[in-house]
Amino acid sequence: MITIAISKGRMQDDAIALLAKAGVRLSAESLASRKLALEDESGEYRFIFVKPGDVPVYVEHGIADCGIVGRDVLLESEADVLLPLDLGIARCRLVVAATDPTVITRAFGMLRVATKYSRIASSHFGARGIPVEIIPLSGSVELAPALGLSDAIVDLVETGRTLKENGLTVVEVITESTGRLVVNRASYQLKAVEIARLTNALKNALEGATAA
Amino acid sequence: MLLSKLPSGMRYYLGAEARLRRSVEDAAMAVFEGWSYEEVITPSVDYYALFEQGMGPAEAQASFRFTDSDGRMLSLRPDVTSSVARVAATLLAERERPLRLCYAATVFRQQQQSHAEWRRENTQLGCELIGGGDNSADLEVLLLAAEILNRIGLGEKFVLTINDVGIFNGLLADLSLDDAARESLRRLVDTRDIAQLQRFLDDHSIPGPIRKSLLRLAQLTGKREVLEEAQSLITNDGSSLSIAKLFDLWKVIESLGMKNSFEVDLADVSSLDYYTGLSFKVFVRGVGYRVGRGGRYDKLAANFGQSEPAVGFVLSLDSLVEVLGRDATPNGNNGQETHSIVAKDASVRFAEALKRRANHEHIRIQVSTTTR
Repeated sequence: MITIAISKGRMQDDAIALLAKAGVRLSAESLASRKLALEDESGEYRFIFVKPGDVPVYVEHGIADCGIVGRDVLLESEADVLLPLDLGIARCRLVVAATDPTVITRAFGMLRVATKYSRIASSHFGARGIPVEIIPLSGSVELAPALGLSDAIVDLVETGRTLKENGLTVVEVITESTGRLVVNRASYQLKAVEIARLTNALKNALEGATAA
Repeated sequence: MLLSKLPSGMRYYLGAEARLRRSVEDAAMAVFEGWSYEEVITPSVDYYALFEQGMGPAEAQASFRFTDSDGRMLSLRPDVTSSVARVAATLLAERERPLRLCYAATVFRQQQQSHAEWRRENTQLGCELIGGGDNSADLEVLLLAAEILNRIGLGEKFVLTINDVGIFNGLLADLSLDDAARESLRRLVDTRDIAQLQRFLDDHSIPGPIRKSLLRLAQLTGKREVLEEAQSLITNDGSSLSIAKLFDLWKVIESLGMKNSFEVDLADVSSLDYYTGLSFKVFVRGVGYRVGRGGRYDKLAANFGQSEPAVGFVLSLDSLVEVLGRDATPNGNNGQETHSIVAKDASVRFAEALKRRANHEHIRIQVSTTTR
């Protein structure tokens, strides 16, 4: 049996729909339940639903063989997992945003950046040689510049509406993020046949989606 | 300061687990001895420069460092191979080749590759075959690793994944990539990140045939069919030679009826600067990260003034014990009967004790727990 960890929230519905297209189906009854661990109709797969940041943890430890999670989360966690497939779901961008777009290039002694992505922000500005103070927040990051907590933010943007409504504009795009299939290194070898079957089924489902 | 707390990544082994640990170590050392490997015991503390040369700066960075009284930087050993390579090139320089050396020793690292490897102190069971440059040396260490895993009862649970780093390096030889780009490319193949790999290949305008080979290489994991596909797909001289060598190994593994324990993984390019030919990893059901790794490092000895081929591997005793311990039933005394010795008079008590011990019997002396 293969255990798949799925990121709760934004990605969950898209992931379940894609898996169904690949022939891995959860019954309506299980979907309606509030259980955090479910088996699919064939009994070949077990699903666990966890917070996005916990998906790489379960997969890296091998408790889950695979996971479906955003690339943003993977970059931030620096988890040592395999990423064989881009599922193209929940597409968004990781950006630097600020009230005043020139704030980044103006000669500040230190740029204050509020974010949920401390590592990504730190390495992005580090690579550009801009000294930053990272202010880690766990949500509503868009508030920080308006209230004077920070000069800029690094955050995930889907439509850009929240940014706009809080008076922020995108200064730079750090990278794109989409839902990824991740696989534990040991499971990839020890359950090679089962993992390959799942990967191929998902790949076919994706190609079907593009063709249609 | 709270003295009850252990530093992170450190642990105790007690009772049945400690015994299991010792028995696994003994079993491994007996296998090494059976293949004519001689035990070496190296210092726990050595110059940091040794490990920087021996492992490469990136890996040596993970070591615990401190300064000697003369100001030179010392390190708690993060590996044993560096020290073994040095002793082979110096003290044992005149000794007849091949040299077969083995060890069971603790190593210390501040961080591991995977977050799941939480231990910072690990016992490595390892061996080095120095001065043997052909396929036979590669096979010897592979089969030795398999024998240890079989003997400790993991026969149905392990897989050894094999690769030759020359295949990937051969593909890169004709590209003019700087070190940073080469490292990015290596990481993308190693994590099988096809989506980002495509972007990388576009950004760097990698020519068609090499592009196609790299994209396919990242997915080439399996048995014989993987090598056959690689052979027709990748045709540059360097890569072809390495594919042929790996294929020869595979044919012997098949002929020995052992292909179920092995897997070819051409995308395993984790330590390119270290290994020069064969590289392999050990995975065991129940552990999410590799429990051992090995390969050929023909360039290592040159760092110590004597250029010669070498191949070896390490297994993590702690990880093996973790898997084995889950199935083991804890028992207090190895299954032997223990004699309680209760005589009040000290002379009588210890006369009985010595007599039973002379017969190798297990005894337990009754001792008062109140102080007088």
